[in-house]
Amino acid sequence: MLTRLSIVLMAALLVSAFYQIQMQYQSRRVVTELDRARTQGLRLAAEHERLEVERRTASKALRVESLATGRLDMQVVTPAITEYVQWRPHAPAQQGSP
Amino acid sequence: MKSIRYTASPLLTSQAPVWRSKLLVVGLALMFLTMIARAAYVQVFDNAFFRHQGEARFVRTLQLPANRGRILDRNGLLLASSVVAPDVWASPADVDADLAQRRELARLLDMPLDKLQARLAATDKSFVWLKRHVDAPVAQQVADLKLAGIHQDKSYKRRYPEGEAVAQLIGFTDIENQGLDGVELSLDQRLAGHAGSRRVIRDRLGQVVEQLGEEVPPIDGQDVQLSIDVKLQSYAYQKLRDAVDAQGARSGSVVVLDAQSGEVLSLANYPSYTPGNRGELKGPHLRNLAVTDAFEPGSIMKPITVAIALDAGEVAPQTLIETAPGRYKLGRYVIHDTHDYGTLSVQGVIQKSSNIGALKIAQKLTPQRMWETYAALGLGRRPDIAFPGATTGQLRLWKDWRPVEQATMAYGYGLSASPLQIAHAYMAFANDGVLVPLSLLRRADAALVPGVRVFSVNTARAVRRMLQMAVEPGGTGTQARPVGYSVGGKTGTARKQVDGGYASRKYRAWFVGMAPVEQPRVVVAVMIDEPSAGHIYGGTVAAPVFRDVVQQALRIRGIKPDLVVEPAIVASSAAEEPS
Repeated sequence: MLTRLSIVLMAALLVSAFYQIQMQYQSRRVVTELDRARTQGLRLAAEHERLEVERRTASKALRVESLATGRLDMQVVTPAITEYVQWRPHAPAQQGSP
Repeated sequence: MKSIRYTASPLLTSQAPVWRSKLLVVGLALMFLTMIARAAYVQVFDNAFFRHQGEARFVRTLQLPANRGRILDRNGLLLASSVVAPDVWASPADVDADLAQRRELARLLDMPLDKLQARLAATDKSFVWLKRHVDAPVAQQVADLKLAGIHQDKSYKRRYPEGEAVAQLIGFTDIENQGLDGVELSLDQRLAGHAGSRRVIRDRLGQVVEQLGEEVPPIDGQDVQLSIDVKLQSYAYQKLRDAVDAQGARSGSVVVLDAQSGEVLSLANYPSYTPGNRGELKGPHLRNLAVTDAFEPGSIMKPITVAIALDAGEVAPQTLIETAPGRYKLGRYVIHDTHDYGTLSVQGVIQKSSNIGALKIAQKLTPQRMWETYAALGLGRRPDIAFPGATTGQLRLWKDWRPVEQATMAYGYGLSASPLQIAHAYMAFANDGVLVPLSLLRRADAALVPGVRVFSVNTARAVRRMLQMAVEPGGTGTQARPVGYSVGGKTGTARKQVDGGYASRKYRAWFVGMAPVEQPRVVVAVMIDEPSAGHIYGGTVAAPVFRDVVQQALRIRGIKPDLVVEPAIVASSAAEEPS
């Protein structure tokens, strides 16, 4: 009886040990994945910030002003240089009766 | 064949010596004892040492860098931000790149091949910088070369998208991203943040496989939102640059304040510099002249003199002042006007900018009264704004004034102030006599900012009316009038001090004013230093810059014109309703 119990406990011990090793392996794999995803996230955030700065640099007021006046011959708006637009909306659509 | 049973083997019958088996047993026992002793030594007695050695091989403490906060304008547009820009370094002894690869590397790093070769020739060194703060796409191209002995460290670089237009205001950081000048320096603690860390176990491939203990998360620096409107700032910078170049001047400054909240909307200086180019980060052009340098203001002090006298009840707007014959002797000094204006009203003194008129008005006041009002307007005090090196200007205590000094201060000599201080002082006129503190940071609710009353409402309005007359025909600042908006302002043409005396042909041209004059929303000060292209007066050099900046400031702020405008182009068209 004692021998059988020992064998069962031994088997349980072995299963537990192997399971722990497996879990440890899984845990490390998940941590590695997590770290990789985290690094990727930081890299993308940094890239986003860089592109945001590039966008602002390309659209900075001095550059826009220079292109508008130099290339497009635009003028700075004053109340004296104004196009008055008359609002003429279409007639409202006829609503059908239910 | 006859078999022999195992138990009957003749070999077993031979008698082995007992000492041999005992020796074997003792030997095995000693081996086990040694192993147990070693295990006890490793696990118990010197466990800390072995644990440390183990960790040294696999455990790493990773720094988690904190992002430096961004600097934004009042509308959330980016003025400064940190981007990844790796540092590239080499271990010369390990570099085996051929000439073509080295040439390609030199091209990517934008450095001469000779210089690169010289650095890589230092094979006795294990570390040499090749280039710091390389742009991320270029760093990726360098990495793609897969050169042995060429390494990269992660690093951040500060970028300033608006460039020179806001350079002296934003300032810059050093290569380690610590603020060195401007807002980057004054708000460094808020912007910097704190790095974090975490302890991890890495496998032989360098991958993180386990985290040990609690992670200390990085605390990113806070974003800072300034009161500056970058569109207005750029426009002001551009107009200032054009004026300084056209007038052959040394430099210039423009300050735009929100007349009600005290927020600084624009603070432009020219010449400026490109903050991303470290080669330019030295010399006088780094100074934010509008804040850090004090100048004698000249005639733009006259409205303040008049306001003090009005408030004291010594004069009224229509009080007559005799300025003939255009010269006035005070002790051993003779004060001149540009013309003989005869008898002027107090309004006329401002409109014509009469030195003698301002002097005679000041003579009705006590030095103490003048000094107290100057001090209340912020002259002689450091402005309370988040900017390093803001000047106090010069304003001596009234007890030390001589009569001639009191007289000259009435028209702006014998004291000094920065353009920011002057604009702030004029805010008292714009805000019906109440002076609101300045702010370089955007205020959440401008209505809650308490101010200090310096002048009565009637005095402030009377002075505004005089300032309006000064830009109308017959005044000195007619070129300051924009289209569609009423303005009031004062010209100033101050002689420069050189080597302790006044230079005969060197001037500073000023114009300070506000708009719309009935209910001012902006106060603008313009200073142009040493114009040399023929014009020297504030009314011809600085007033046009004021006009353009005011025009745009009011338009950008969405303030409707308060004057009837005859449109230069009138087109009438029908708009289609958007589908």
